[in-house]
Amino acid sequence: MTSYFPWLTILVVLPIFVGSSIFFLPHKGNKIFRWYTLCICLLELLLTTYVFCYHFQLDDPLIQLEEDLKWIDIFDFHWRLGIDGLSIGPILLTGFITTLATLAAWPITRNSRLFYFLMLAMYSGQIGLFSSRDLLLFFMMWELELIPVYLLLSMWGGRKRLYSATKFILYTAGGSIFLLIGVLGMGLYGPNEPTLDFSKLANQSYPAALEIILYFGFLIAYAVKSPIIPLHTWLPDTHGEAHYSTCMLLAGILLKMGAYGLIRINMELLPHAHSIFSPWLVIVGTLQIIYAASTSLGQRNLKKRIAYSSVSHMGFTIIGIGSITGMGLNGAILQILSHGFIGAALFFLAGTSCDRIRLVYLDEMGGVSIPMPKLFTMFSSFSMASLALPGMSGFVAELLVFFGIITSPKYLLMQKMLITFVMAIGMILTPIYLLSMLRQMFYGYKLFNVPNSNFADSGPRELFVSICIFLPVIGIGIYPDFVLSLSVDRVQAILSNYFHR
Amino acid sequence: MEHTYQYAWIVPFLPLTVTMSTGFGLLLIPTATKKIRRIWVFPSVLLLSIVVSFSVNLSIQQIHGSSIYQYLWSWTINHDFSLEFGYLIDPLSSIMSILITTVGIMVLIYSDNYMSHDQGYLRFFSYTSFFNASMLGLVTSSNLIQIYIFWELVGMCSYLLIGFWFTRPTAASACQKAFVTNRVGDFGLLLGILGFYWITGSFEFRDLFEITNNLIHNNGVSSLFATLCASLLFIGAVAKSAQFPLHVWLPDAMEGPTPISALIHAATMVAAGIFLVARLLPIFIAIPYIMNLISLIGVITVLLGATLALAQRDIKRSLAYSTMSQLGYIMLALGIGSYRAALFHLITHAYSKALLFLGSGSIIHSMEPIVGYSPDKSQNMVLMGGLKRYVPITRTTFLLGTLSICGIPPLACFWSKDEILNDSWLYSPIFAIIACFTAGLTAFYMLRVYLLTFDGHLRVHFQNYSSTKNSSSYSISLWGKGVPKAVNRNLLLSTINNKVFFFSKDMYKIDNNLKKYIRYFNISFEKKYTSMYPHEVDNTMLFPLLILVLFTLFVGSIGIHFYQGVIDLDILSKWLTPSTNLFHPNSSYSVDWYEFFTNAIFSVSIAISGLFIAYILYGSAYSVFQNLDFLNSFVKGGPKRIILDQIQNGIYNWSYNRGYIDIFYTKVFTMGIRGLTELTQFFDRYIIDGITNGVGIASFLIGEGIKSMGGGRISSYLFFYLFYTSIFLFIFLFFYNL
Repeated sequence: MTSYFPWLTILVVLPIFVGSSIFFLPHKGNKIFRWYTLCICLLELLLTTYVFCYHFQLDDPLIQLEEDLKWIDIFDFHWRLGIDGLSIGPILLTGFITTLATLAAWPITRNSRLFYFLMLAMYSGQIGLFSSRDLLLFFMMWELELIPVYLLLSMWGGRKRLYSATKFILYTAGGSIFLLIGVLGMGLYGPNEPTLDFSKLANQSYPAALEIILYFGFLIAYAVKSPIIPLHTWLPDTHGEAHYSTCMLLAGILLKMGAYGLIRINMELLPHAHSIFSPWLVIVGTLQIIYAASTSLGQRNLKKRIAYSSVSHMGFTIIGIGSITGMGLNGAILQILSHGFIGAALFFLAGTSCDRIRLVYLDEMGGVSIPMPKLFTMFSSFSMASLALPGMSGFVAELLVFFGIITSPKYLLMQKMLITFVMAIGMILTPIYLLSMLRQMFYGYKLFNVPNSNFADSGPRELFVSICIFLPVIGIGIYPDFVLSLSVDRVQAILSNYFHR
Repeated sequence: MEHTYQYAWIVPFLPLTVTMSTGFGLLLIPTATKKIRRIWVFPSVLLLSIVVSFSVNLSIQQIHGSSIYQYLWSWTINHDFSLEFGYLIDPLSSIMSILITTVGIMVLIYSDNYMSHDQGYLRFFSYTSFFNASMLGLVTSSNLIQIYIFWELVGMCSYLLIGFWFTRPTAASACQKAFVTNRVGDFGLLLGILGFYWITGSFEFRDLFEITNNLIHNNGVSSLFATLCASLLFIGAVAKSAQFPLHVWLPDAMEGPTPISALIHAATMVAAGIFLVARLLPIFIAIPYIMNLISLIGVITVLLGATLALAQRDIKRSLAYSTMSQLGYIMLALGIGSYRAALFHLITHAYSKALLFLGSGSIIHSMEPIVGYSPDKSQNMVLMGGLKRYVPITRTTFLLGTLSICGIPPLACFWSKDEILNDSWLYSPIFAIIACFTAGLTAFYMLRVYLLTFDGHLRVHFQNYSSTKNSSSYSISLWGKGVPKAVNRNLLLSTINNKVFFFSKDMYKIDNNLKKYIRYFNISFEKKYTSMYPHEVDNTMLFPLLILVLFTLFVGSIGIHFYQGVIDLDILSKWLTPSTNLFHPNSSYSVDWYEFFTNAIFSVSIAISGLFIAYILYGSAYSVFQNLDFLNSFVKGGPKRIILDQIQNGIYNWSYNRGYIDIFYTKVFTMGIRGLTELTQFFDRYIIDGITNGVGIASFLIGEGIKSMGGGRISSYLFFYLFYTSIFLFIFLFFYNL
């Protein structure tokens, strides 16, 4: 059967191992590195799709393609991989976005070997994170992720790159401490020998106080990554300074790790604490939507504005997770994917247009729609997608989250009304900041007194990247069952915990 | 017969294909696509005409008493929740689809010529087709979620089309304003949908109606909550149909190309709100107070729109306010429960207003070569006048449209407006008085528009008129083709174009020094109008006008009651019969001829008196400049005259400043949001981020302090050691002694 062949191990280690041989390639210009990296990414993506098509049963809510190799015996640390309906979406998203990000990173010429290697290392770490079934392995993959991002930021970033890289590493490392505490606390608790296996841990029960402490520890780690409001300030700085291909990875995948972890560990393993904490999650998520939207409105920096918009959109994910309904959770997963696409695309477009105009402040821009019509078109389309225009993926996700809140049995009528109302106010604020961004950048008419004012429009490569991201956005928007069918059964299985106990 | 129903799903999808192919063509192979641009238009007209034939066929079947047809596909299936998509063909949707497609096709044909020199010709057609597609989807949708989806798509199309000439700063802010205002409506609509989902557990119209009625009869749901949800739903309609509190976007939306003003902002998109209310009327009737709210909003809008239209200078803007007022009539009719009259007026008004807008487009088109391409000039009625000599056909059509809106008998709007006025007398005398008074106002301002435009002498060459120079706040024509002489002022907001600029304190300042324009495009006009006088437009533009004149003349006949003959011509009632059976159980409608005539004479006399006053004030014998002298001679006596002047000034100021509503919104909402933004940004930057940075700096300082202390000198270590020991000893001794 399929399980004898270690598909997942191959998927996890392939990018980093094959990628490390990039240092042995002859140094004959950047072209060879580009194509090499792109080929690895494509190979990995194709392999992933192949494995998921032929060795994965969609209608089975259990863990599949499991692998279990003993690593450190003393505290039961295994190389334990496995995927289910929950992780398949983020893994495919990772493959897709990383491939496009390497394609988007072509303009990078300085030290491109290292750059591409770091991207591939991130690729491995992300897939490893999403497919790990061992708590400590999860933590290791989580940490593995940080180093490439730090390097990518501090070496290829903008003017304040060191500040933001330091901020990023301190924030996330600070969060990781809590994650480690949680991991060890969970692993070492129990009458028998320590266990780090997810499936065993899922059946374990804790004293209420300990469960809440563990939950809180995990929550802080994920709140940094996700981000949840008071711990979000690393994100605008990081996104404002990073190169846009790094931004694509950050916005597209890295932010999703927090939400994924929240579902995977907090919801699955600590259900009691989750049902205690979920009203707070919902409240925080609602506040976050409004708060980040109105902060975004005040940003002058284009990239920071988009960064705050992604903070605002992650609020929907948190609400969906907090609603503890099938619809809400499905909506949250869909929002993870949808924002992965939209956020990545918006950062890509913002980065390319900033590079062209050589300005980052919105109030200095204006009237570039005539020289760059294609960029304008794509930017408008993705802004529309981001403000949840029906027919695009964001709408379905937000609608499902709304339904999740409405149908949630956990909340009273007044609470639901209040939460829905405030969320819907976010719906009014979102177009204001996105459209005023569009207006300030593209609309109007401006006389440039820079000598070479004829900007080039998007080339075929850039157009290809943005259309590639646009297609799944439309696809999910028109027929959301594509993605929902992946996660529906698993979500049902997770939620059954809440009704059995 | 069933075949047509089965294939009715094709109706919204046909125009969509044009959009998609054009869009991809423009994005991927722009030059090749632009070369054959005229060819691209043909399929869009063709497909739309197929849709017309489809919807005519469907309507004929509906008239012959066919049943309501509904077909569903499942969209998403979850364990506990399923969404279905489908289409619903009933009288309402067939009426709406005929309306949309006929007006749409006229507009397409018209704009082939109107937009022919524009850079965005193809973009225009793809947007328009997309708009038609989403509007058709809206009217054929079978559940509330589907309505919401298309509702927003329609809003987006209007955003794109208002901002079509995106180089104009006013267009840029107008489209944003339209979208945000509409989003406020969507907000209400979404909350209302969610509320009704919570009440009934369904989105399907029929289930919704039944369950809601049952619940309300059995007191299964608190009527307060139901009323709240229903009024939230109504907010959606208020925003889309430009009713009173959310009407601010409609006049600004006139920044879009004129055919679009005809299509969206007169005939179809603004009808979406009416459609929604008409569709959900069974719910609204069942819930108390909501009908009163609808009619109240309707009557406020009627009066407000009419008063605001009184003194507009911009021809399109005054037509826009007239649209708003007429939509108020329709809303009023819905609120007082006369479903038939509302739909009737919707149809007649749509054709008349489309005619008027297309006519104004042709006026603008002929004025543009003379006065320049800035909308402040080419649409300014102050500069027009005497056009009847130059554009006779347009003038005739425009006059017919004007008279139709005024409610002069043989024309379309008379029949429907008369019916509304008639029904409003039965409902509430106050509303009826306001409605009748507004009918007079309507006649007044419509004839004012007509007289200012076509009567008298061409006023372009009166250079000393202040508006020609003052209001040239920007002089850039459509695609950067400059009009160099007028760049002499910074962009100052005059009272007329008092826009709500969201967060743009410094808008596109055009520097005085930069008189050279970078011309991105060299539009070489094939026909250079060099003459000093306007010309009649091409036949391609006149053809839709004439067709619409036919509609305006004869569309009223579908709703006239002829009971004494053998032929029953009241098609509209027959058309609506299934729906009236479904929604309102008994509506046997019979009209007494005598009663009809008295009412008609009353309303016509009001209209004619309005016309008469307008003629006195703006008629050809007295040009605008002699206006005040004439008034002086007319009104004798000091104090009376002053009072009259004051009233006149008050009305003019009210109308110029758009009833001070825009200013109020700017002051309250825009400033409020800006304040909130600044507050949150301050909080984010100095408190949340400040804590983080503060921790960083503090740790840095502590580290530095420790570093400087731990410099490796034994003496300092000894000093600190002894120092701390002595402090501890001191404290210990001190407390011990106590």
